[in-house]
Amino acid sequence: MTDPRQLALIHAEIDGELDNEQRAELARCLLADPDTRALRDQFQRLSKALEAFEEAEPPASLQDSILAALPQLPPRRRSSSTPAWRYAALIAGIAVAGVLVFETVRGPGPSATDVAGTIASPGMPTVLNTASLANGPVSGHISLYRDRAGLGLELEVRASGPVDVRIAGEGHTLEVNGLGSPDRPGGAPTRVALPGFRNGETVELTFLMRGQQVGTATVRVPVGQ
Amino acid sequence: MLSGNCVYEQDDRTLVRRCREGDRAAFVELVVRYQKPVYNAALRLLRQPEDARDVAQTTFLKAFEHLADYDPRFKFYSWIYRIAINEALSALSSRKSLAEVSGEEVDEAPGPEQRVQGEQLNRAIEDALMRIKPELRAVIVLRHFMHLSYQDMGEVLQVPEKTVKSRLHSARQLLRERLLHDGML
Repeated sequence: MTDPRQLALIHAEIDGELDNEQRAELARCLLADPDTRALRDQFQRLSKALEAFEEAEPPASLQDSILAALPQLPPRRRSSSTPAWRYAALIAGIAVAGVLVFETVRGPGPSATDVAGTIASPGMPTVLNTASLANGPVSGHISLYRDRAGLGLELEVRASGPVDVRIAGEGHTLEVNGLGSPDRPGGAPTRVALPGFRNGETVELTFLMRGQQVGTATVRVPVGQ
Repeated sequence: MLSGNCVYEQDDRTLVRRCREGDRAAFVELVVRYQKPVYNAALRLLRQPEDARDVAQTTFLKAFEHLADYDPRFKFYSWIYRIAINEALSALSSRKSLAEVSGEEVDEAPGPEQRVQGEQLNRAIEDALMRIKPELRAVIVLRHFMHLSYQDMGEVLQVPEKTVKSRLHSARQLLRERLLHDGML
């Protein structure tokens, strides 16, 4: 069993924290005790192996995905009011639009009444992931967020006519009808709660106009959020 | 890395100040500057690139959202690494919970048959890292992969330097024992 003092000196040497006096003390220990020498060699090899690990390059899409999500999250300032009006307006807009949300019978989950009751949940959302729609008859922006009520999607869709969105996860399917239609000028965003969706799950969105698929998008619920 | 951090420190504060004033380009600069170390810290803690990517993204979004809470008396990189480490630890905890719910084993320790010749020691170290407690893994990541000082590690983990040293010694001891057991040291 190595003396704790000697062990501390070995660790300090690895970390470059030895002063001259300690260095001399460690040298004396190493000369006097082959077991301490063996132990020190093992820690040195471990340290060198750890230092030899190469840094991984982050995915090229990481920076873009971070920046794409930023406009959803203006920095909060203590001295100024938070943009609560934005969310209040959103909730009011959704109430006026009267978007119909229902769950198909494809998988287990809460009833359609429960789902509809959780649209536009209150609280400041944190955006977890985003996706964009472009180059087709439907364009817009999708944000996966979490607020106090749980996971949700904010759909900002622009199209020449009404768009239905099928939202599918593992055993869950929701449909939102009538987005992007002329009675929703400017592509006013719609928020849809995602009850039953879990961390690590992939949420697939299919956009339909008059029953024909016109676009798809995928967002993933991050692990640990 | 450590010297790089010191060079960056003054600029970081300027960038944070500009960002608080509404300059998004300043935040972009912070993302460019720190996405690699944040991603690597998460990768070493979680091992799965997809999870590391998620943690890195969430780290920056939370940093942006809570920039008003950042205290400029401390180093910016300590603050953002703290967010990253906490997010990664939270993801680990969540991953274990999901595995328990589904009855799956957490795939954190592939067997020797999965190791590739030539990368055997690295694989053995990665395996050993995934077998020690996340709080011990975190000190190895901060010290050996991110090259932080004891003081900076204390700031990131919000524990005294004495605790940092104690955890670091325990982590190295456990890694040494596991690698010896596997015949890798």
